[in-house]
Amino acid sequence: MKRPVLTIYCLLVYAFLLAPILVVVGASFNAGNFLTFPPQGLSLRWYVTFFNNEVFMRAIRTSLWLAAVSTVISTIIGTMAAIYYVQHAGKRKELIRIAMLSPLLLPEVLTAISLLFFVYTIGIGTRTIIGLVVGHVLITLPFVFINVSASLESFDSSWDMAARSLGAGRWTRFRRIMLPLIKPGVIGGALFAFIISFDVFTISFMLKGIGMSTLPIQLFDYLRTNFTPEAAAVSTLSIVLTLGVVIVSEKVLGLRIHRF
Amino acid sequence: MTEVSIERLTKVFGSSRAVDGISLRIADGEFISLLGPSGCGKTTTLKMIAGFEPVSDGAIRFDGSDVVNVPAEKRDIGMVFQNYALFPHMTVAQNLAFGLEMRKVAKPEMEERIARVLDMVQLGGYAERYPNQLSGGQQQRVALARALVIEPRILLLDEPLANLDAKLREEMRVFIRDLQRRVGITTVYVTHDQAEAMTMSDRVVVMFGGRIAQMGAPADIYEKPETLEVAEFVGQVNLIKGRVTSVDAGEAQISTVFGTVAVPDRGIARPNMTATLALRPEALDLAAAGEPGAAGRITARYYSGSLVDFRVALSSGEELHVQTFPNARYSEGDDVTVRAPLDAFWLIGAAQ
Ligand SMILES: Nc1ncnc2c1ncn2[C@@H]1O[C@H](COP(=O)(O)OP(=O)(O)OP(=O)(O)O)[C@@H](O)[C@H]1O
Ligand SMILES: [Mg+2]
Repeated sequence: MKRPVLTIYCLLVYAFLLAPILVVVGASFNAGNFLTFPPQGLSLRWYVTFFNNEVFMRAIRTSLWLAAVSTVISTIIGTMAAIYYVQHAGKRKELIRIAMLSPLLLPEVLTAISLLFFVYTIGIGTRTIIGLVVGHVLITLPFVFINVSASLESFDSSWDMAARSLGAGRWTRFRRIMLPLIKPGVIGGALFAFIISFDVFTISFMLKGIGMSTLPIQLFDYLRTNFTPEAAAVSTLSIVLTLGVVIVSEKVLGLRIHRF
Repeated sequence: MTEVSIERLTKVFGSSRAVDGISLRIADGEFISLLGPSGCGKTTTLKMIAGFEPVSDGAIRFDGSDVVNVPAEKRDIGMVFQNYALFPHMTVAQNLAFGLEMRKVAKPEMEERIARVLDMVQLGGYAERYPNQLSGGQQQRVALARALVIEPRILLLDEPLANLDAKLREEMRVFIRDLQRRVGITTVYVTHDQAEAMTMSDRVVVMFGGRIAQMGAPADIYEKPETLEVAEFVGQVNLIKGRVTSVDAGEAQISTVFGTVAVPDRGIARPNMTATLALRPEALDLAAAGEPGAAGRITARYYSGSLVDFRVALSSGEELHVQTFPNARYSEGDDVTVRAPLDAFWLIGAAQ
């Protein structure tokens, strides 16, 4: 250890960040009736309870569905926006960047209230799921945009010219040259979008229809009246799910790429 | 094969004319170099030929038909870039196959053509490598192969050797030149390296500020530069002044520190004019003091292996740059005579 002070400092920071998570994971295996740490005996009973809880199951299905749909939409829109931003925006570049990042810069609650106001103004209200999806797309879009524009910055325009001189039209060049080369950014952005959408609370809370619930909302609801380790089990499962998405995408889709 | 004709080609960026009305005819199978300093419009010209840069004014014709409105992907051009621009996610074979797939070449023929071209660039065993597994020189040859395998009408190269080290660069010059001869393809080569342009080209086009300053065979450009700029750009040059004593029949008699010399005149010499003459350093030679020639003293000597460079201060005040073989045993401080053969003098113009 060359720098003991720095090392200890880093360890402390990690401990500070990770300890709550470890406590939650530990508490979820609690055999007792209350959310306590350290756990009183080990058991999976709260996981069983959770999987038998129809309300939670419906909420998790809604969350997964919502995350999947908004990830697809914001990945497509965000990628197109990033391509325009990096390659064609010219003088408008700075303006577009700020506009694209504004959902990150504004407080989420403000975005949520404005959207709520908007959906009622145009008359669809929260009867349909449209407002909710739009909200999730809006909040996840900046993450796709940032990741894709970062990988586009290292996309050499001479690759595109080379492909053109070899006879490739616009769509072929996008599909066979640009997309494979910016894939790490697109996948990274989509992952972020998925995780953020899965986690969003305020927007979902404002824009969800009556009787509808996402996992974070359901968890919040549950904790107001109950204080059992089931809540810890739910949290642990979301953590596992999030990590799972990251690992699977890396393995299956492959973030490796050949570069010189 | 293809003849290219360019007429009054112009490219305007905002208020500046990057290419300013150049006209040029490139014969079928000819190797042309665009030579000039940075920013003179070489790349812009090449990009207009390739179709990557819209033309502001003028015409580009391939075999007589105007291609100005034909998009780059339809022009059937092979292009080699300074950074090679190989697709990093494809193997060598896939890089080469790309253009053939766009042309819907059948699989067996495709494989046969790829193998043949890879052989031609001496990369037979490298088909399955990725670009990042190749050296710079090998990547360069793959880029060349990728451009040639589609059997394009025209080959365009933009400073393809600029990223290679000196030795490899010299090898590649000869390699590209020989390959071009064998394939017989009309070629436009952009460079700011005069030696490269000289060795490779049938004709060199010297450009300054978006215009053609002079074009011709390498020897003509080097030995008969029409302007001072061209003379200085294509090699080292000594400038001396002289008085024109008489002019007749395309020849001027000019009195200089080397005595009176007869110099070919292209209608610029007037009797009694003070003229500027060019002398290439390698045309000059040193001899012992007192011999006929221009007397002077060596002020500096630089040894570079195959040649020695001398700076000689003439007693008339001018300083000359002399390049000789290393067997000349003169050193700094020696009094010497600079000798110039009669045909070493070239009239540039009136002195400023
Ligand atoms: N897209 C552009 N927008 C504005 N000006 C440009 C653009 N491309 C080139 N220029 C200008 O046009 C002029 C010619 O550029 P060009 O790239 O053709 O030079 P070059 O001869 O290839 O130089 P180099 O040897 O440095 O590559 C330069 O002054 C350059 O700044
Ligand atoms: Mg250039």
